[in-house]
Amino acid sequence: MKTITLLAVLLFVAPAAYGQEPDLGTEAQREAGRVLYMEKCAQCHGPEGAGDGVAADVFTPAPRDFTTGIFKFRSTASGELPTDADLKRSIREGMPYTGMPPWPKLSDAQVQNLVYHIKTFNDDFSGSYGVPDPITIPKAPSFSEEAAQRGRAVFEANQCTDCHGNLGRGDGKSAPTLEDQWGYHIRPADLTKRWTYRNGQTREDIYRTFTTGLDGSPMPSYELPEDESWALVDYVWSLSRDEANYGTVIVASPAEGALDVGQGAALFETARPTYFPIVGQVIEPGRAFQPGVNGVEVKAIYNEDEIAFLLRWHDMRAETSGSNSPTMAAPRFGETAPTDTTGAQAAGEAAAANPASPYSDAVAIQIPSQPPAGTEVPYFLFGDEKHAVDLWFADLAKGEAEFFVGHGSENLEPGEETLDFFSNYDEGEWTVVFKRARAKEAGLTFEEEAFMPIAFSIWDGFNEERGNRRGLTAWYYVYMEPMNKPSAALPMAKWAFITLVLELGLVFAIRRRARKEEAVA
Amino acid sequence: MNWLVLLLVIAALAGLWVVDRKVRRLNMLAWLAAWFAALYVFFSYGIEPPLPTSIVFMYLGIVVIILTAYLSATSAYLAEARDAVVAFTTEKRYAIPLVIVLVLLPLLVAANVYLNITQEPAAPISGRTIHPPPPAQIQFKGKTINLATAANPYRVLEERDPAAFAEHVENGRRVYFQNCAFCHGDNMEGDGHFAHGFDPIPANFSDPQTIGILQESYIFWRVAKGGPGLPHESTPWSSAMPAWEHFLTEEEIWDVTLFLYAFTGHRPRALHAAEDSALE
Repeated sequence: MKTITLLAVLLFVAPAAYGQEPDLGTEAQREAGRVLYMEKCAQCHGPEGAGDGVAADVFTPAPRDFTTGIFKFRSTASGELPTDADLKRSIREGMPYTGMPPWPKLSDAQVQNLVYHIKTFNDDFSGSYGVPDPITIPKAPSFSEEAAQRGRAVFEANQCTDCHGNLGRGDGKSAPTLEDQWGYHIRPADLTKRWTYRNGQTREDIYRTFTTGLDGSPMPSYELPEDESWALVDYVWSLSRDEANYGTVIVASPAEGALDVGQGAALFETARPTYFPIVGQVIEPGRAFQPGVNGVEVKAIYNEDEIAFLLRWHDMRAETSGSNSPTMAAPRFGETAPTDTTGAQAAGEAAAANPASPYSDAVAIQIPSQPPAGTEVPYFLFGDEKHAVDLWFADLAKGEAEFFVGHGSENLEPGEETLDFFSNYDEGEWTVVFKRARAKEAGLTFEEEAFMPIAFSIWDGFNEERGNRRGLTAWYYVYMEPMNKPSAALPMAKWAFITLVLELGLVFAIRRRARKEEAVA
Repeated sequence: MNWLVLLLVIAALAGLWVVDRKVRRLNMLAWLAAWFAALYVFFSYGIEPPLPTSIVFMYLGIVVIILTAYLSATSAYLAEARDAVVAFTTEKRYAIPLVIVLVLLPLLVAANVYLNITQEPAAPISGRTIHPPPPAQIQFKGKTINLATAANPYRVLEERDPAAFAEHVENGRRVYFQNCAFCHGDNMEGDGHFAHGFDPIPANFSDPQTIGILQESYIFWRVAKGGPGLPHESTPWSSAMPAWEHFLTEEEIWDVTLFLYAFTGHRPRALHAAEDSALE
């Protein structure tokens, strides 16, 4: 046993430890890695590691091409190869909000074997570059508000705002022009959503990300003095929420007086926000494999006659020069339209050449046209033959609401509806308000204390989204909090009183009986 | 089963027992309260997945009956409990604790009423039928497919022509990763990168209780007809599963079915097994 351990140490640990030879594993390990790779990885990353698997076209961002030897997520200096630990971390943790899932169920040996196989795709791994020299990340000091404030200055001094935007929403002025090494448009991270950070979500991860940079992307490396680094980490930390906390119900609050949509978000100050995930429409033709928007915050208020909804989402750039409509044709997957080819990557190429998209940003609220029977709802993609949906749509270039009735994506008819509308774009965020009368003849009426199904669609014009190429939500609910909420005081007093009477009754009964027994005794 | 909770509950009861024996004898009522509390904790937190509140209440009702039966089993127990109650309500030295209890109990009741009234309303729950009953036959692009007898036409190649079979599986891999992986996940665990946007959540094929207990014709039906094609008794539920008959060919659906089994290592339920059970 001892000999085997010694042998193992000599074979695997010793060369790496001396910094002489890269650790490429044994033939058997690489072969085991290859078999596992072909089973779990090759569909995206390709049989030869060139990022050209059968699924490569439908996963955006594109799967990594291992043959280039360029890796975004490293603990090594810019331009160097990643360490085994870096590759393992990418496999283990995955990259949230991309097609790269975490692989928690693989054993350490399996992950190590995969790493050995991945290292066969580029010769540099077996040469002198194959023994990378990682940076040491000091243990993160605890978060301090004061450091975060200093970090704001570091954020500005290093021009982080150029791409990530003034408030870190990924809406900097250079953001629309960014390209990766392969000429595809690449979005700067929205720093306010920590749950989407692809290179990890701890403070050490943030430190590593900007210290080593993301090779192949426009994100450079920033080697800052340590106190500045942690200040920057604390600032980024302070910008972001750690969890998405997706909800399922919008609670509409009652409001006094008229609902003036012109007030925008200010009208909704008393209402509680609910945050919903936006996912791509990947089913019907025009599929959006990576929608430009990944979440929307919704609030609702109502009065006697009307109900208003507020929708807010982060968008890299407001597209307001083109046009958009839910009925607009989007090319089928694999087909090309005059202005684009497939998916977001080509959209980015087009945008880099032509700064304004031909398609404007747009948004829609979807509700069933008829009050639903039980929990039965129309099919979530613009309804179905039997169940129609009402679509409150707004092309944000026009600044007014339109109305459609849907019996499925192929069957959308413009209709008549009085909808008040407001929209505004500021600091990387769209704010949109829709208002409708609560009651509708022969249609859905928003009743107090009832749950009404509701769904949303968002089109990111920059991403060439139009028609059925869009981000969407499944069905959720809006609940109308009762206008005159009965006070809890009366039932509380009633039940407390009943309890007290019972208690006293019991005590008196026992005492009386005890006295009687005493008397008898 | 949450073993940690179970151990804690047992440890607490054992601790009481030691106190009872070594330090100070506990009253029968204290023991009953301890058992009730212990079982309440166990039913509420000790069972995975958690029991519905209504079931917990039902169990606690049974517990009360059992404890009452135990108490009334001998007159000694009963007398002990009775004397304790009488002493507490009549003796002067308990006057202050008695008043505290008399005041505290109505306040607790009021607090409970408050919590119930101000609770967030819960969205309507639409049940999920795990394996909805399939129709006898379906129409697929103008062709009638009998679900009870239809076999995967490419399954026979598995033994007859492994090379051709592998091609079908590979085509299934392409179909899966171009159409299904977004929701059902790269490892078929129902956790694709868009899965968080849907409720009911996408099916987890790695779970042996999904495709492993179904026939391939059943898979064909679910893929071809999706949520919109569910029988009415299995609705209403807002499944986002599309009717893939509009976007995939018959061969592609059979191929992706082969791939689901090949990737997960499950075997489809054989047709003859279904016929046997139909005869029974």
